[in-house]
Amino acid sequence: MIRVSKSYDRRAALTDVTLEITKGEFVLLMGASGSGKSTLLRLLIGEERPDQGQIFVYGKNVSRLTRDEVPYLRRKIGIVFQDFRLLPHKTVFENVSLPLVVQWASLADIRRKVTEALRAVGIEHKKDQIPKNLSAGEQQRVCIARAIVNGPVVLLADEPTGNLDPERTVEIIELFKLINERGTTVMVATHDPHVRTLVNRRVMTLRQGVVVAGTEESGA
Amino acid sequence: MRWLLYWVREAWVNLRTNRATTIVAMVTTAFTFACVGIFVLSYVNLRNAAMWLQDDIKIIVYLDDDLSMEDMQTLRERLASDQVVADLRYISKEEALSEFRAQFPHDSHLLEGLGENPLPASFVITPAPGHRSPEAVDRWADQVRAMTGVAKIDYNQEWLDALFELVRYLELTAIGGGVILSAAAVTIIGNTIRLAFFARREEVAILQLVGATRSFIRLPYVLEGAVLGGGGGGLALGILKIGFEVFRHQIGSAGRFQGAEEMVSFFPPSIAAAFVVAGVGLGVVSSMISLRRFGERQA
Repeated sequence: MIRVSKSYDRRAALTDVTLEITKGEFVLLMGASGSGKSTLLRLLIGEERPDQGQIFVYGKNVSRLTRDEVPYLRRKIGIVFQDFRLLPHKTVFENVSLPLVVQWASLADIRRKVTEALRAVGIEHKKDQIPKNLSAGEQQRVCIARAIVNGPVVLLADEPTGNLDPERTVEIIELFKLINERGTTVMVATHDPHVRTLVNRRVMTLRQGVVVAGTEESGA
Repeated sequence: MRWLLYWVREAWVNLRTNRATTIVAMVTTAFTFACVGIFVLSYVNLRNAAMWLQDDIKIIVYLDDDLSMEDMQTLRERLASDQVVADLRYISKEEALSEFRAQFPHDSHLLEGLGENPLPASFVITPAPGHRSPEAVDRWADQVRAMTGVAKIDYNQEWLDALFELVRYLELTAIGGGVILSAAAVTIIGNTIRLAFFARREEVAILQLVGATRSFIRLPYVLEGAVLGGGGGGLALGILKIGFEVFRHQIGSAGRFQGAEEMVSFFPPSIAAAFVVAGVGLGVVSSMISLRRFGERQA
């Protein structure tokens, strides 16, 4: 990300942000609500375009992608949300299979990869349940399984522990570390200082759209 | 094949989820199409009647009273050898009188007082199939009128022209009404699709985030539009068929038009199929317009 700025109605959300995340890194993006964390993630997945600057993901210039190219970028990125964003009328299996379905993967492939992803997050036994029958922690695991089922090169998480109790938070962060150890680049955006204590990795801090600290390692 | 199944299933989920809206949209579309259908049905039947009457046209060539038998024979041979004439029948003055008496038994006394038979002899001519258009008949009649021994030509073209005029007006009304009512159907279906899309906007957002292309997201809604349009067209055919049978029964039981019920006919299968296909087409167009306008940001 090179000198990226983005504003909404003349209010700056990000100002002159430059950052580089190398392949396989785990980065914690810290900042209070409204500091620009979500905007930064939206820019990375091509949901927004920067007013200035360039964004490269896995060698692709995201800021220059056409609308028809954006879906192909997103197939390389897994996304985890605070509110899980699961389809309520579909089962856990069907929710997790979505990224494969939209690419017309074969049924055998879908079955194999979804089972692997559910096993990786520890909820294989819940595959036939619908989301409302699951706890918040389990729903977040489903969301993570959906994000990794496609073998993404990057995993982005926006306040992934915002709806979880401390115990579940630890589990989810451990899961991200595991995913990262398998080679996936992980970026977790959070305002929760407790998460920082759990992650002994690079921390970037945003304040009012400006990077105020970018290279430190967190201390836990 | 799998993608088709997926889209059909998603479209079915949409239709089922918004059941009430779907039914209202389909019924409203059906009545809209049925209105167009009434015009088209009237047009088809009147046009058939006009064609039938035109095909059945007879040209009556009345002869001068003082025409000798020899001249009459010459004229007969001349007309019979004309390529326009498919059939020619001579009606003598006596035959004309007895036909008049047979047709108007209560008025035959009107001719009694005149002493001599006032009815002229005539040729009743059936034009050949390729020469039955109003223009061809007019042209030929002008030529015959100038022949020696011909007193007058009659072929009821005036009211036939009026009937064709009426058919033309009906055609224009059907086209105009069809365009206006189709626009109404497009709006109804478009709004239904828009509602369905709006109801599932969160799902659309999730699909986008996991890498679904625009066509992947939109196709179920286009299919839904096709089902609404095709269903509306099919339902409209049903409404029209019921209305048509009731109408036919009514004219059959009304003494004045007895026999007319055999002359009216419903759409042939090709037009009925075209009706449903047009419904499908309109449904697809409406959903595409709706998705383009409303879904531009969403998908």
